[in-house]
Amino acid sequence: MELNDANLQTLTEFLRKTLDPDPTVRRPAEKFLESVEGNQNYPLLLLTLLEKSQDNVIRVCAAVTFKNYIKRNWRIVEDEPNKISDADRTAIKANIVNLMLSSPEQIQKQLSDAISIIGREDFPQKWPDLLTEMVTRFRSGDFHIINGVLRTAHSLFKRYRHEFKSNELWTEIKLVLGTFALPLTELFKATIELCQTHANDVNALKVLFSSLTLISKLFYSLNFQDLPEFFEDNMETWMTNFHGLLTLDNKLLQTDDEEEAGLLELLKSQICDNAALYAQKYDEEFQPYLPRFVTAIWNLLVSTGQEVKYDLLVSNAIQFLASVCERPHYKHLFEDQNTLTSICEKVIVPNMEFRSADEEAFEDNSEEYIRRDLEGSDIDTRRRAACDLVRGLCKFFEGPVTAIFSGYVNSMLSEYAKNPGLNWKHKDAATYLVTSLASKAQTQKHGITQANELVNLTEFFVNHILPDLQSSNVNEFPVLKADAIKYVMIFRSKLPKEQLLQAVPLLITHLQAESTVQHTYAAHALERLFTMRGPNNATLITSAEMAPFTEQLLTNLFKALTLPGSAENEYIMKAIMRSFSLLQEAIVPYIPTLIGQLTHKLLLVSKNPSKPHFNHYLFESLCLSVRITCKANPVTVSSFEEALFPVFTEILQNDVQEFLPYVFQVMSLLLEIHSNSIPASYMALFPHLLQPVLWERTGNIPPLVRLLQAFLEKGGASIAASAADKIPGLLGVFQKLIASKANDHQGFYLLNSIIENMPPESITQYRKQIFILLFQRLQSSKTTKFIKSFLVFINLYCVKYGAIALQEIFDSIQPKMFGMVLEKIIIPEVQKVSGTVEKKICAVGITKILTECPAMMDTEYTKLWTPLLQALIGLFELPEDDSIPDDEHFIDIEDTPGYQTAFSQLAFAGRKEHDPIGDAVGNPKILLAQSLHKLSTACPGRVPSMLNTSLNAEALKFLQGYLQVASVQLV
Amino acid sequence: MSTESVVNKRVSKFKNMGKDLAKLREKRVSECVELRKAQKNESILKRRNIILSSLPDEEAVSPEHNDTLSFRIEDIIRDVNSEDREAQTRGCQAARKLLSKGCDPPFKEIVDAGLLSRFVSFLSMDDEPTLQFESAWALTNIASGNSWHTQQVVQQGAVPAFINLLASPMLHISEQAVWALGNIAGDGPAYRDILIGCNVIPALLARISPDTPVGYLRNLTWTLSNLCRNKKPCPPSFAVQQMLPPLVRLLHLSDKNILSDACWAISYLTDGSNDRIDLVVKTGIVPRLVELMNNKELFIVTPALRSIGNIVSGSDLHTQMAIDAGVLNVLPKLLRLPKPTVQKEAAWALSNIAAGPCQQIQQLITCGLLLPLVEVLRNGDFKTQKEAVWAVTNFTNGGTVEQVVSLVQSGALEAIINLLQVKDAKFILIILEAVNNMFIAAEKLGETEKLSLLIEELGGLEQIEMLQNHENEMVYQTAHDLIEKYFNDGDIEEVQVDTTQTEFEFKPPDVQKTFEF
Repeated sequence: MELNDANLQTLTEFLRKTLDPDPTVRRPAEKFLESVEGNQNYPLLLLTLLEKSQDNVIRVCAAVTFKNYIKRNWRIVEDEPNKISDADRTAIKANIVNLMLSSPEQIQKQLSDAISIIGREDFPQKWPDLLTEMVTRFRSGDFHIINGVLRTAHSLFKRYRHEFKSNELWTEIKLVLGTFALPLTELFKATIELCQTHANDVNALKVLFSSLTLISKLFYSLNFQDLPEFFEDNMETWMTNFHGLLTLDNKLLQTDDEEEAGLLELLKSQICDNAALYAQKYDEEFQPYLPRFVTAIWNLLVSTGQEVKYDLLVSNAIQFLASVCERPHYKHLFEDQNTLTSICEKVIVPNMEFRSADEEAFEDNSEEYIRRDLEGSDIDTRRRAACDLVRGLCKFFEGPVTAIFSGYVNSMLSEYAKNPGLNWKHKDAATYLVTSLASKAQTQKHGITQANELVNLTEFFVNHILPDLQSSNVNEFPVLKADAIKYVMIFRSKLPKEQLLQAVPLLITHLQAESTVQHTYAAHALERLFTMRGPNNATLITSAEMAPFTEQLLTNLFKALTLPGSAENEYIMKAIMRSFSLLQEAIVPYIPTLIGQLTHKLLLVSKNPSKPHFNHYLFESLCLSVRITCKANPVTVSSFEEALFPVFTEILQNDVQEFLPYVFQVMSLLLEIHSNSIPASYMALFPHLLQPVLWERTGNIPPLVRLLQAFLEKGGASIAASAADKIPGLLGVFQKLIASKANDHQGFYLLNSIIENMPPESITQYRKQIFILLFQRLQSSKTTKFIKSFLVFINLYCVKYGAIALQEIFDSIQPKMFGMVLEKIIIPEVQKVSGTVEKKICAVGITKILTECPAMMDTEYTKLWTPLLQALIGLFELPEDDSIPDDEHFIDIEDTPGYQTAFSQLAFAGRKEHDPIGDAVGNPKILLAQSLHKLSTACPGRVPSMLNTSLNAEALKFLQGYLQVASVQLV
Repeated sequence: MSTESVVNKRVSKFKNMGKDLAKLREKRVSECVELRKAQKNESILKRRNIILSSLPDEEAVSPEHNDTLSFRIEDIIRDVNSEDREAQTRGCQAARKLLSKGCDPPFKEIVDAGLLSRFVSFLSMDDEPTLQFESAWALTNIASGNSWHTQQVVQQGAVPAFINLLASPMLHISEQAVWALGNIAGDGPAYRDILIGCNVIPALLARISPDTPVGYLRNLTWTLSNLCRNKKPCPPSFAVQQMLPPLVRLLHLSDKNILSDACWAISYLTDGSNDRIDLVVKTGIVPRLVELMNNKELFIVTPALRSIGNIVSGSDLHTQMAIDAGVLNVLPKLLRLPKPTVQKEAAWALSNIAAGPCQQIQQLITCGLLLPLVEVLRNGDFKTQKEAVWAVTNFTNGGTVEQVVSLVQSGALEAIINLLQVKDAKFILIILEAVNNMFIAAEKLGETEKLSLLIEELGGLEQIEMLQNHENEMVYQTAHDLIEKYFNDGDIEEVQVDTTQTEFEFKPPDVQKTFEF
């Protein structure tokens, strides 16, 4: 590609076409550009256009295209071709700084970005003169150019703020400091002087202040990793000037905009950050300056207004004070009563006030409001910063601070009392203040767990919170109502039960409030109260205590779901779930109505599932309805099936992926309630459950396995009878699962259910193949998890089909296979089996091998008899071996496609633990003793001699203990 | 190491549930590029203007004597270059006085005037002790300048001349040679090894006797310390073995300056690989070093602490020797000294002891180190806090479940959580690792939920949540993993689909190979 007019012309035309709204014009043009970008000179053509084109649109378009081109192609990836020719690279680096600095702002920004992308790769080694070239421009005196340089430097250096220390990084920083630190300092001083010279020229000031802000940002980056020698030596210059700028005000720079932060605010905010950085990391060196900064920042706070544009500055400034006041050696700066009072009065209280912006969010953006107020995403807000300052001050001055604030709380409350309609915000601030003062530790699960003992929470509740909750007009002062509800909720662990009980019916009433925040808080508060635990780990509030309010509660909760904006309100749905769980049988009379409402809701949300939490709680509520009702009366299961199956069918037919795992779980729950037969409606579904497409989604696997297990448990025989042609498909699922390190345990669940529940003859023809599959996996990729499952399975097989069958099938696959498995797998690994039921299965299985398998007595396997017995006694007596070889820790993640834990288990659809041996064997140790006794009477003398020659003494002692308990003797 | 492999290594550590036995002991990193000012409190490399103990009284001129200004370089050059002994002596003395002046002495001018070769030639004039002495002093001062100055002195052949001078019967001349050699050795490893190659050590040690005046011994100890100093490479081990026995004897004297420099010498010798540490600990000096950590002079405590800090960065055995010598009884006091550099060194030593096996961790608990550790986590300066956090992380890596529980109960969890706001990505990462290790311990006790709640109460959950927005990818990832694993309330994620088929095939495999497990 030549650098000539014709090519420039062509490129211009294609660039123009990439701006065309019509995709049939735009797309081919984009494709064309991509196809030619590998040619030499392409980037230089773009640079020429962005510099010289007559058309401004083309210039900007060329700049953007250039930046994207650099972004995609500049990095040289190992083993991949270099996508930009060396000549072009050199030419770009030689010209771009100049070009950037002489371009108008729109283009400058793009080129500045491009420089930092190139710099990230090439600077400093492959672009040694970049910095010197930039620094030279400081002397140009043209602040448009200087700001361009500063902006570029900022994007080059800001990574020093978050990268780990390394020799490479520090070498680069050292180099930067060597070239940059002194000129930057000189520029800083000169700029400040110019600000004084041009104190009356607003346009000049604007440019100069944006330079100062950039310089301050560079200071932050360059000082982040460690305190450089240069800046330590020049601390006086920097800190004196920073301090001066913090205290500076210039009417000309004040903006009218209420929202957007102005230049003054941005600069001061960055200076607060710089001071905080020094205070935190270079305390020893910064100590002489710190008190001055405390005073300046505090004065700044006192004189800054309530507008949103100051939020970041105020929050940064308060956070600075908060971090300093906690340090023991700065305690004295705050100690004085007047200082404390003044901080409380002038810094904290004003920033806790409810502002019009908060009011707007409360009314129009309730989700955002709740997220900030309830879930703690209020990190950068003024209220939050003020709260942190209160907490910081309380570290050393809890008593005085509490006393000062008590005064304020009282006066704000009396202001409110004088004219509630006008002064309700005073009460809001008072409540907020009490909350932040009292709260010392908090969790979502328990609310506030540690409170300031100097605050009387109960008294405040009775005098100021309760009246709002009891107010006859539920829609009056919604903010105060929400405050009151929140108070109950967060202090729930600290309030006496009688007051909580007093609050419950009031909260139920507030579910009807029009304000979304208010009824959401009410639902959330009820939900939290219902999870509280009293003595004996029972719920604090009992179903009986709720009896008088049950109907109202259920009615209001479901009614709340019909309020505008709350159709899929997760707090309400969670409260429904929690109420069901608390009320238990008390909900049965209402179920016929409720189930209709729930299924209706399910039908609606399944059209477009968008609120995962809402949906989850909806399914949990369904499960609870089923469980509670069917526990009392199992026959009612059919009425649930009637109500749910039509919706489920629709979900399955429309393949609503989000809901399938839930549907399978609810169906498992329903099927398990049936006694020992599968209704036809389920059988019709069985073939569909074996479809590979369902099993490709990881989230479906656990609930589908469970559902198949329920099928096998309830109808192993009927599957064998009426769907024998599906058995290979079923085993195909097993084969698929067993091949995956992540899902092999699920494959074993399925296999165990097949062995346990299918009539033996129905699977005879597959048995050998099943074992071959397992052996292959054992050979190719043996993992601890697989071995554990394998051991449980073969022992279950032994229990079910007998030890001889096990030995014969092993040896039919390969001679002496049985001995190899015993020696290499069972004996060394059985100690790793975990779980009571699993251990019991293994114990019974091994006992059978020891005592019911002639090959163990008469063949070369005999030498394994005592080691196997020893291993069994170890399984009984030794702690579980939970060691895992080093190379095995990641398999769960590696092997799961895309690492998704997509399965959301429903707590209330839980399956009971299943013990396939059950009561047949009460104590496996006694079974062992009895079985050994039987064996020894069959071949007298042999057992004691095997024991006495090679069983270790400790094991023998344990064994004698078992024999004694079983009252048997070996002969 | 690329970021990627760091991440993997990191993740592997997390998934390995603390079973990764990688050594966490951290050697003093001095090869690193530094941004800061050079350490202010380290012993001085080179010095001028030491008061010679053995200087005859009439010669004890104050270096700042006010007649320095009256010397003119031209006169000095003329005198030194003359053949008249008296003039030479006068010239040398004038040069020495000029070179001793407080600020900016005219090193360069004297060198450029070509006087060094004259000075060096005077050194061998045993029959002119005054001239010998004055020229030795002048050379000493020039050697105290920057590397270039020292180089000029050495290139004139001063090294063998000074070594010969050590044997001078005139004590003050010998002492001047000791001092000059110290300045040359302090220049760096190259000259240090040239001196060693010229057998400076036996010549120096020959001057140590019960009658050696204490002042002379001070200078000699300082010169020895410079011969022990510097890495890349370390001094040759035969030289170390020559110096160690006399250093051990010096360490048992009572003079404070001797003790300080001898401790510095030991601190240099222990700042290296484990076999270097081995050479030192084999002399049996560890108990004495621990004793000196308890000294009331900070300038003795500092190098003694550094030495012990180096020793506990060695093998478990080395650490155990320091523990047996009682280091754990001294550290609490040092951690509480209101001197950030000492606190930091002490915390560093503690972090290395905490990186040991659980028996050593147990001794650390028994000796009551948890309380002072938590105090420095709360109130120490930044660098001390960083070392203390390493101590916590190492502790949680190697400690038993019970030990980790007592650590958490001592307030360390709260303290490290408060530090999550620190502006340093690595620092945050090691805190997160400690938290993760605590969860691993809690898992073994079945108390992860309790720990999650505790962390939430302490404000830690919020901090960790915020770290999910951190610019550093590893910090972000680690925070994210912690939340996922221990604070997750069961979010539901998307899943993907493909393939269409009616049923899986149960395909019994063809058996080709024999099974062998």
